[in-house]
Amino acid sequence: MIWSNNSMRSCSFFFCLVVSLSWQSATRSYANDSEILSGLSERFARPDDTKPALTEIPSFQKHVGPLLGRLGCNGRACHGSFQGRGGFQLSLFGYDFQADYDALLKEGENRIDLAKPLESLILTKPVSDELHEGGLRYKHGGWEYWVLRNWLEAKAPYEKEKILTLKKLDVTPREIVFGSAGEKRQLKAVAHWEDGTIEDVTCLCRFQTNDPATATVDESGLVTSGEQGDTHVVAFYDNAVSPIPVLRPMSSQVGDKYPELVASTTVDRLVLEKLSKLGVVPSDVCADAEFLRRASLDATGTLPTVEEISAFTSDPSPAKRGVKIDELLNRPGYAAQWATFLCDMTGNNDDQLRNFLPQRIQPAPQWYQWVYQRLQQNMPYDQIVEGIVTAQSRLPGESYAQYCEAMSAICQDESGKKFADRPGLVYFWARINFRTEEERAIGFAYSFLGVRIQCAQCHKHPFDQWSKADFENFQRLFTGIQANQNTMASDAREQYTAMIDQLGVDKSLKGNQLRRALGDLLATGKTIPFPELTVRDNGGKAKGKGKAKGKKAEQPPANQAKLLGGEWIDLDQDDVRSKLVQWLRMPNNPYFARALVNRVWTQYFGYGIVNPSDDLNLANAPSNEALMSHLAEGFIANKYDLKWLHREIMNSDAYQRSWIPNDSNKLDKRNFSHATLRRLPAESAYDATWMALANDEAAQEVVKLGRPRALTIAGASAQANRGNDDTGYALSVFGRSVRETNCDCDRSNEPSLLQTVFLLNDGVVHNLLKNSNGWVASIAKKYNWPAPAAASKPNSPIRNAVMDSKGPTLEGLIKQLERVTERKKEAQTSGNADLVATLENRIAQLEQQKAKLAARNSDSDAAEKAVADDIETETKDVSANSVAIPTGDSPQVAITDDQARWIAEQAYLRSVSRKPSDSELVTAMNYLKSETSPTVAVEGLLWSLVNTKEFILNH
Amino acid sequence: MTLHRTCDGQSRRDFIRVGALSSAGFTLANYLRLADAGEVTSNRGKAAIFIDLAGGPSHLDSFDLKPQAAKEFRGTFNPIATNVPGMEISEHLPKLAKCADKYAILRGVSHTLAAHRLGSEYVNSGSRPLASLEYPGYGAVVSKQMPTDPDIPPFVAIPRGNQRAGFLGIQYAPLNTGNTPVAGQPFGVRGISLGSGLTVEQIERRKGLLNDIDTTFASIESQSQLLTGLDRFSDKAFAVITSPRARQAFDISLESPAFAAQFDSEAFSQSCLLAIRLIEAGVRFVSLQLGGWDTHTDNFTKLKDVQLPKLDAGLSSLLCGLEQRGLLEATSVMVTGEFGRTPKINDRSKEGGRDHYPRCMFMLVAGGGMKGGQVIGESDETASAPKNEAITPDDVAASFYYSLGIDHQQEFDTDTGRPITLVRDGKVIPALFG
Repeated sequence: MIWSNNSMRSCSFFFCLVVSLSWQSATRSYANDSEILSGLSERFARPDDTKPALTEIPSFQKHVGPLLGRLGCNGRACHGSFQGRGGFQLSLFGYDFQADYDALLKEGENRIDLAKPLESLILTKPVSDELHEGGLRYKHGGWEYWVLRNWLEAKAPYEKEKILTLKKLDVTPREIVFGSAGEKRQLKAVAHWEDGTIEDVTCLCRFQTNDPATATVDESGLVTSGEQGDTHVVAFYDNAVSPIPVLRPMSSQVGDKYPELVASTTVDRLVLEKLSKLGVVPSDVCADAEFLRRASLDATGTLPTVEEISAFTSDPSPAKRGVKIDELLNRPGYAAQWATFLCDMTGNNDDQLRNFLPQRIQPAPQWYQWVYQRLQQNMPYDQIVEGIVTAQSRLPGESYAQYCEAMSAICQDESGKKFADRPGLVYFWARINFRTEEERAIGFAYSFLGVRIQCAQCHKHPFDQWSKADFENFQRLFTGIQANQNTMASDAREQYTAMIDQLGVDKSLKGNQLRRALGDLLATGKTIPFPELTVRDNGGKAKGKGKAKGKKAEQPPANQAKLLGGEWIDLDQDDVRSKLVQWLRMPNNPYFARALVNRVWTQYFGYGIVNPSDDLNLANAPSNEALMSHLAEGFIANKYDLKWLHREIMNSDAYQRSWIPNDSNKLDKRNFSHATLRRLPAESAYDATWMALANDEAAQEVVKLGRPRALTIAGASAQANRGNDDTGYALSVFGRSVRETNCDCDRSNEPSLLQTVFLLNDGVVHNLLKNSNGWVASIAKKYNWPAPAAASKPNSPIRNAVMDSKGPTLEGLIKQLERVTERKKEAQTSGNADLVATLENRIAQLEQQKAKLAARNSDSDAAEKAVADDIETETKDVSANSVAIPTGDSPQVAITDDQARWIAEQAYLRSVSRKPSDSELVTAMNYLKSETSPTVAVEGLLWSLVNTKEFILNH
Repeated sequence: MTLHRTCDGQSRRDFIRVGALSSAGFTLANYLRLADAGEVTSNRGKAAIFIDLAGGPSHLDSFDLKPQAAKEFRGTFNPIATNVPGMEISEHLPKLAKCADKYAILRGVSHTLAAHRLGSEYVNSGSRPLASLEYPGYGAVVSKQMPTDPDIPPFVAIPRGNQRAGFLGIQYAPLNTGNTPVAGQPFGVRGISLGSGLTVEQIERRKGLLNDIDTTFASIESQSQLLTGLDRFSDKAFAVITSPRARQAFDISLESPAFAAQFDSEAFSQSCLLAIRLIEAGVRFVSLQLGGWDTHTDNFTKLKDVQLPKLDAGLSSLLCGLEQRGLLEATSVMVTGEFGRTPKINDRSKEGGRDHYPRCMFMLVAGGGMKGGQVIGESDETASAPKNEAITPDDVAASFYYSLGIDHQQEFDTDTGRPITLVRDGKVIPALFG
């Protein structure tokens, strides 16, 4: 019986989707109005008792449950609260029929008194006959009263075997266009049930607006127009969610009055179709320099070089933008930029991976490299995802020993590069916050479906069709996979033991002690055993956990799980993950392609077609469904070719529009009529600052990934982002993703005080300005002016995946040496000669490293000292609170007009990627000449430019 | 502890003090009754100091000694009397013993997260960590709810801390000083002190130029939250950098020698001094860190020689200093590690150590209208579990917020629009305000 219940529900998704899209079709497909049952509010209207009693018995699922929802009983602040209210708890947002029914009939509580129906609390409380904290919910004798009373007098029937499927919720009108504020339209919602009933359920729906400024909707479904713009109002009934677009044009330029505009691409045509409805005229296409800066930052994560800007702006070819786009997409910066994007999305978090591999091996760089290489090769997105979702530790036919040999070799290289050749990204499954079925269901849906199903973990999803049962059925797909520090396949045990024997590892070691010992052995070049991902034979053993809190969820068959809105999957097979991938690849999968194209779009526009970009729930309808379909379908038709997607977006006029708005589009932000100002993401903010302040050669290196960049830092976590080094500090201040909570909002592009303080006055920025590799120093050298004042300490090296791996610090090495020596002593005492030998090897190695590093550091020590001195001078200056006029022996040189002009132009080009306007040029030249020394002047100008809004924003 | 003496030895006064821990004291009804009767003083705190004893201090050897317990539990330290009759603490905390009237000891605080990171997130936010959501630390909430003057940063962490901005957003993150001050010396803070030989006048000239050239978006500035936000932050940052107020607050060398002399030269004590200066200057929340409590081995030597003396000197100077400046009543202070340590002494080193133990721990609170000179809550004979009803980190959080006039049950919306109750499960501890 439970069976039938679930199988029936399984179809509901399909119908909901139809509903959500159905407004586009102009024809009405359902029966004549005469066949439609009128609403309960009419059928149960009985103004006085003189009229004959009603005979209709309301249904629990169709009427009583929704009515309780409509009356607000199951709201979060009332009985929907997890603690209940007044000892009475309903399932939040309903749809847990059994639990709600049980709660109503709970013995001794008198909420429903079958013997004396009129004394039931659900009749007396909401009308305030009895004290009710929630106040008056309906009037005595109102239709609501009669619905409940008739149901009670019929002995409160509920047949749990007969949960009906709602085939369709038809909400009309399908689209509302308002002319002015205050206009009203009534929504009508008609339910089509599988038993053939068609009923007006307007009075039972819950309504919400997605943007109260544009339109409001009251509890009866009456929509009132607000400000100009567009949004959706949404009707909820049973498990259907039905969004209705509401728009009010932003200008009078609609219909025939809309200017004739040429759409350059399909994307543009679809964007313009929507804009013309709204009377919004798009901004012009932006200038070349603006396009180049925007495209470079978006596609490759940093600024164009000065040289590149000059070449591009002077190139007369009309096709140059398309050519530039192709060129950008072939740069290493492209792979790095989008590897970071995919690492955010899939959760490459070093902290969550910390206990998986033997000590000192970092999985995060391997993860990054794995993704980076695939993007560089432009592997189709579905194949990349397949490598993640169906990841196996071993290659086909590989024995455990061979696997360990391969991994030992891979891990000798700290850069992680060699791991990229393995087919499976096992680490995705090895994260500490991705171990339980629930976490995996939530994480998988977040990463690859762009769906937030976590709400349904505890209650009916408030904005989507998912019920608690849907969540539980989906979660069982993730039962049998294990990947932690101790897992290995059963055939591996023997080889594992042999390996441990051969290595002479103390067999009593466990957990982290064992990981440490193995890490030491690997460092001496030995082959060590590795953990591997295992797939447990489900063979009907997988159990629905039914981890209900206080309530019993209905138990589905234990050996089956269900794809979200899809079909049932038998768990009696080797590895159900391949089914997951099959499902993702099905052309009618409603999420997989859409989630990705929407996220990529969001990167380019700062606003998703669905916004937020990871929340594709039914109520959160796309602002432009046709555009979304075009991109998703095109992406699939082009075999998930990521570069196709990037080109499709970047080559559109929509992407290339100016940020300068006109009267009709200045209020638009969700229909892509002009470029949106966006703060640079953390990595770009850091890399662009670095590049703007560096000399030309160093800036070239940034573009070519010839030096470590913030964009090539592999892992991320709140812990690591807050690291003590300068880069870590900057990145955490600028909101680099912490990759922790299954939300695109783990990354923050909001401005903050600390970001401004950083650019205005952080030592990192001051040092970059004064650095001997800096642009200011190169200008000083060119004109033979004194070098920038204080010699600066080299910025702390970026911990980096793609180029050189992170070098150990001297401090770290000394500590390590101490630890290893300590352990050698322990081993000596316990008489473990093998371990002593291994550790001695390790000590010798560390000593060597230490010597090398000490030699390298002795140079920078001098620099450190200079910085310390510098701080000293600074504080003196501060306490005296007076201007320190450089006296010394540095000759004062006046800047000539020609020099000033050239310097100002260069400074503008390297920071805001354009030439200064005439008036800006005058201001800059005047400043340059007014400062106390030419070097200080150049420094001041560049500092000011880097602190403009134009610099820190992508525009 | 009085209960561990003979029953006859227990004075009535002791009973009343310790009696506050009886389970009846914990009910909300009781609390509401007190509140209705006007017996709950509240909302005194205008600022707060949080001291993070990172690593997890041993409760049995500091503020919850069990001299009668068997050898494998008791450890080598003895209790000493404090200036509050009936309240006893470790003999290695003599200075804190002299000012026990200023703080309350919470015993039998209990939770279940034995990993540093999780435990720390819990006690720094008052909500058990969730995988799907990052709760904001106290400091972030206070910065949001209690704004400061433009030239003063609202939340400073010395040198850095475990309190995150969480779902409130990065703008509520602390200003980390990055290092700790040294006695008598000027103190430079990342981004606040003028760097690289810059003078105020020079930076003002640069700012002048910046204002002149930063006009690209002038036409749409008034319509864009992003642009106005950036301008506001720029003005504020500039104010903080150039105003002498913030700089002077950070500069402990400007402190009067007599006052500064109460603080020894340890980094933690100097940080405490800095905290007082910052609070006085208008900073709303200062978090301090004293790590080194993870005493799996050589527990007693480490505590006796290093940890307890540092805490003793720093915290006693902080509380006395706040009082001398008239700030204690207006400053809520909370001191806690992420958990306690195992009552049973392990044998992994010569003298033994103690491991992670969240089931029973202590916390200290002071100031902000919270009544000092009392012990609230109680642990069992071996300090292995709360004797009666446990105090939870949530309860302490609720009380801490309450002392600051912040409704701990208010809801904040996350970026995803999910409404989150600030402290999910906590109840204000009435005895603190009774």
